[in-house]
Amino acid sequence: MSYVLAKSQNDDILSAGECGGAVTSILKYLLDEEIVDGVLVLSPQDDVYDATPTFITDSEDLIKTAGSYHCAPTMIGDLVQKYLFDKKVAITVKPCDMRAVEELITRHKINKDNIYMIGLNCGGTVSPVSGRKMIDLFYEADPDDVVSEEIDKGKFIIELADGSEEAVKIHDLEEEGYGRRNNCQRCDVKIPRKANIACGNWGAEDGWTFIEINDEKGQELIDGARKAGILETKNPAQGAIDGREKVEGIMIKMAKKVQDATYPTVSEMDEWNRCISCYACRDVCPICWCFENCELNKPYFKDETTVPPTPIAFQGVRLSHMSFSCVDCGQCDDVCPMDIPVSLIFDKLQKKYFNRTGYVAGVSDDIKPPLYSPEKTEL
Amino acid sequence: MLEIKHTLCPSCSVGCGLNVIINDGEIVGTFPYKKHPVNAGKNCSNGRKSIECYQKKFEKAIVSKSEVDIEKAVEEVSKELNSADNSTVTIICSGNDNIEEIQAIKEFGESKNYNIAFYADNLKDFGDVASYDEVAGASKVFVIGDLLYENPLIGRRIVHAKQNGAKIYALGKAEKSVTFNIADETSNSTVQEFLEDNKGNIDDDSVIVFNYVDSQDDLDKIDALNCKCLPVFSKSNSKGILDIMEAKSLDEMLELLDNTKVLLVFNDDIADELDFDFGKISKIISFAPCSNKTTEISDIVVPTKTWLEKDGSFVNAMGETQTFTTAVESDLLSEIEIIEKLNG
Repeated sequence: MSYVLAKSQNDDILSAGECGGAVTSILKYLLDEEIVDGVLVLSPQDDVYDATPTFITDSEDLIKTAGSYHCAPTMIGDLVQKYLFDKKVAITVKPCDMRAVEELITRHKINKDNIYMIGLNCGGTVSPVSGRKMIDLFYEADPDDVVSEEIDKGKFIIELADGSEEAVKIHDLEEEGYGRRNNCQRCDVKIPRKANIACGNWGAEDGWTFIEINDEKGQELIDGARKAGILETKNPAQGAIDGREKVEGIMIKMAKKVQDATYPTVSEMDEWNRCISCYACRDVCPICWCFENCELNKPYFKDETTVPPTPIAFQGVRLSHMSFSCVDCGQCDDVCPMDIPVSLIFDKLQKKYFNRTGYVAGVSDDIKPPLYSPEKTEL
Repeated sequence: MLEIKHTLCPSCSVGCGLNVIINDGEIVGTFPYKKHPVNAGKNCSNGRKSIECYQKKFEKAIVSKSEVDIEKAVEEVSKELNSADNSTVTIICSGNDNIEEIQAIKEFGESKNYNIAFYADNLKDFGDVASYDEVAGASKVFVIGDLLYENPLIGRRIVHAKQNGAKIYALGKAEKSVTFNIADETSNSTVQEFLEDNKGNIDDDSVIVFNYVDSQDDLDKIDALNCKCLPVFSKSNSKGILDIMEAKSLDEMLELLDNTKVLLVFNDDIADELDFDFGKISKIISFAPCSNKTTEISDIVVPTKTWLEKDGSFVNAMGETQTFTTAVESDLLSEIEIIEKLNG
């Protein structure tokens, strides 16, 4: 592992990208040098609250994807495994994306040799509908006038079309039930260290991206982009490295506090009581990969004639099958029509499993999925 | 090329947003549309399966059980219509059609003096109805039907109301329901008895949400109450069509079908909805994107574009007009294009 500060040598990217534009520049390098067939990145749709994963094959199209999209909490692991398995792809990954991709690599659903993971440090994401409401309630701005947003130094910052900025402490927003998504508040993986590189502004000087190089492939990326003349790099000062570590430490400490406060509050059976067995949580789960072969589709579990569904036949089976591998991405919460806090229930059990085995889904180095790990025999 | 595009869910009248995944020009899956104000990325099973209609769409027209070109089928339809007594021709409009299509179908039917019918689950238009936020903010919610199970994204607002401290009164036909699970009071009575029993509880801070009634009298009773209501239809644009034409009751529909010799069904599955002997009708002509019970009994089936292959607008249950744009291109005809051909 080593560190580097990086900045784009491309003026357009430098002005459009976040903190130095290193990520967009590295993606451009990969495309221009034909090292990858394409890159899967978030691309803005209607406005700042709306971005969707898009596969880009021409580096000219990259510029419009530059910037951060905290209000677009998407996942990409399932898209890679379903539609891009045979392609050489570069992907930008939050820690939960990285964890999902790692779990899928372990299950041979993604070929590690085919992908470049450009990690993005993450302090959390905001649901777009709740984000708009939050801006309406706690800022002096019209949500429609926001042209960009950022999470920095414990604040959710918005930039308006006239160039002005407004910031509110995330802690204050979360006290009122807004701010980051619930799973993000308790997430204790802030830097995606299984990605080839992990990029962000923590510890970085203004106009530079702080990059942690996690493996040989990551080093080749940085060296290649520098050689191609698209990336300028320099070594960070020890103070910058310490500062970044401090930010990470504080965020993890805050997350663990949220974990301790929320795990005891959830009552599984009460929440499952309103489950309609719509399979949305299973279908969106980036780790669930069985699709049509899923046991839950078998007649002995799938009883569509019983209304209300029996929670244990769906939620219980899924919990026993998947919770060890839960990466706490919160997608299941996001898509549940009944607002069941699915990820809280799964994450709570994953942490119990972690406490017994030390296994953190998508982070630990085990080469087999949790249920096949040697540690299971100890349970 | 892998991309994701916005559209609307066509599977009921709630008006949820839906993202579709397009790979090399074909729709291959759905993806949460989290910015959509109605559902924030949450879709029920029906919504996520709605793209099956695109994936299993007709590629060819069918005349007398044989596949033919679309042009040939449209010619056959023209012949049938030209030889029919217009007073015995009935057009069935559908809540699956968008506003623009309904206007074109209505204009076409009126110009030929055909009967035009629209069936909206035996419900009717209530004009200014409760918004979804009003459901979530009500102090008492009276629920007729298992809304949590059948229309989950309205059901979610009922859950929110409950979480906000509202009292939930639920009526259902079955002994158990998901809505019953969160309700304070439950009933298996008739709609009329339910309304009568709760007459004293219903006030101007209450909302009645329903997806069925037992009879047309129930609708009048609900209309006469001093609270807002929200009828939830089974089709995406039923509320929008009610602004254009009145819905027929079940009895009116059956009577009209009894007097019909040629039946034109635009994007509907009336054979699945109504208990009627369709064998009594001489010719059934369906304009539909994919197979259903009505196309199975039709003499002529003209394939049409799915909603994913055209622009249009739906009006959701609370009366909001929502537009959608073409997600994928298609060589098939839209209903409007077919009508233009029928008009010569």
